[in-house]
Amino acid sequence: MGVRNTPSSFGLVSRTIHWAMAAAILGMLPFGLWLEGQKIGLSNLWLYGLHKSIGMTLLALVLVRIVWHRISPPPHQLTQSIASWQIRAARWAHWALYLLMVLVPLSGWIGSAATGIDVTVWGLTLPSVWPQTEGWDKGGFAAHSILTKLLLAVVLLHFAGALHRAFVHRDRTLTRMIRG
Amino acid sequence: MIRLLALVMILATGPAWAAQTRYALDPQGSTVGFAWDFGADEIKGNMPVAQADLALDFANLPNSTVTVAVDVTGAEAGFPFASQAMKGPRVLDAGQYPHITFVSSAIRRDGDGARIDGSITVRGVTRPMVLAAHLYRAEGSATADLSRLTVILTGALSRAAFGADGWSDLAGDEVRLNIRAVLRQVN
Ligand code: HEM
Ligand code: HEM
Repeated sequence: MGVRNTPSSFGLVSRTIHWAMAAAILGMLPFGLWLEGQKIGLSNLWLYGLHKSIGMTLLALVLVRIVWHRISPPPHQLTQSIASWQIRAARWAHWALYLLMVLVPLSGWIGSAATGIDVTVWGLTLPSVWPQTEGWDKGGFAAHSILTKLLLAVVLLHFAGALHRAFVHRDRTLTRMIRG
Repeated sequence: MIRLLALVMILATGPAWAAQTRYALDPQGSTVGFAWDFGADEIKGNMPVAQADLALDFANLPNSTVTVAVDVTGAEAGFPFASQAMKGPRVLDAGQYPHITFVSSAIRRDGDGARIDGSITVRGVTRPMVLAAHLYRAEGSATADLSRLTVILTGALSRAAFGADGWSDLAGDEVRLNIRAVLRQVN
């Protein structure tokens, strides 16, 4: 299997990014929810930094993914004997996943930057992207909170769809995302 | 002013003591320390002194005056994020208000030390403040030598009283001061 996508298969780059991001996001969602309920202190401060570092890495990865899919378009959906609403739902879900993969970390970044405290990614301080304003801090995190719930919902739908393809339709959809 | 009392009683002789003695702050060894609560932890920070003017009258304590200005821009709150948050607009707003100043209004004996009443200006807001003072002679100096002194000042203030209450969900309202001032007599 090649590195690039073909009209009927996912190449190595797309598959690697898909599963790496999926694993990281599935970890980040419960991690974020757990963090939200923590009382911040010296002992757990580093976990906030870790959440931000992983999140910003995911933002970078999704941008790479979007650019890569411009260079090397992913294969067409397998549509044989699939109800048209399911095809539309899958397309809609992929589109929504992309949007959320950008907006979720972006909202976290904006909220964090608006607090006026440096956002550091793996020890590197990012330039302040947002003026220090209390409204944007609250708004950014409120959006982060809502968008992450939306992301969770769409991921579950996407997961259900993938399993449905694999075990009910028994087509190559899941296999080609795993093995190309 | 603890040993001050003792010192004055035992050593004060002659009219030299009946007047104010002026002191300058020796930045080396002097710290304006403070402590605040962050979750379950107590964090300690410090700020450099920008200017200090002390005139002490050992024979007549109420005749003493203390004026201190602290440099907020050089403050450290204990760890980098906290320093940034503390100097930012939601807490001390160092950009707008680079100094915290304290001016004494009344100084009197209190137990083995002294009580300094005065007003403190934080973030442009002035409020009354009380500091407890204890005074020590320099280590190894002769008992009569009051040319070098160390004053320990303690007190506490509420961030909310000055509108410096940003991140009140994370950082406690009370800021406890522990100031160590090393003084040198100036003539
Ligand atoms: C794909 C990436 C990310 C995912 C899946 C994610 C997920 C989450 C979740 C589920 C929460 C809990 C939200 C709530 O219930 O209110 C959360 C909180 C948080 N996230 Fe993220 N996050 C991501 C990226 C980021 C980034 C890039 C930053 C900052 C640069 C960030 C900063 C935060 C902060 C500071 C909180 C705690 C908010 C608070 O305590 O109010 N996140 N995240
Ligand atoms: C956070 C989790 C996930 C995200 C954000 C995500 C995102 C995406 C996106 C955007 C696509 C479209 C193809 C592309 O542009 O790369 C896709 C395809 C796919 N995903 Fe996921 N995914 C996640 C988790 C999963 C899981 C857990 C499974 C399976 C159990 C899965 C199975 C698939 C399959 C089979 C495809 C290929 C669909 C097709 O060929 O039309 N994904 N995923």
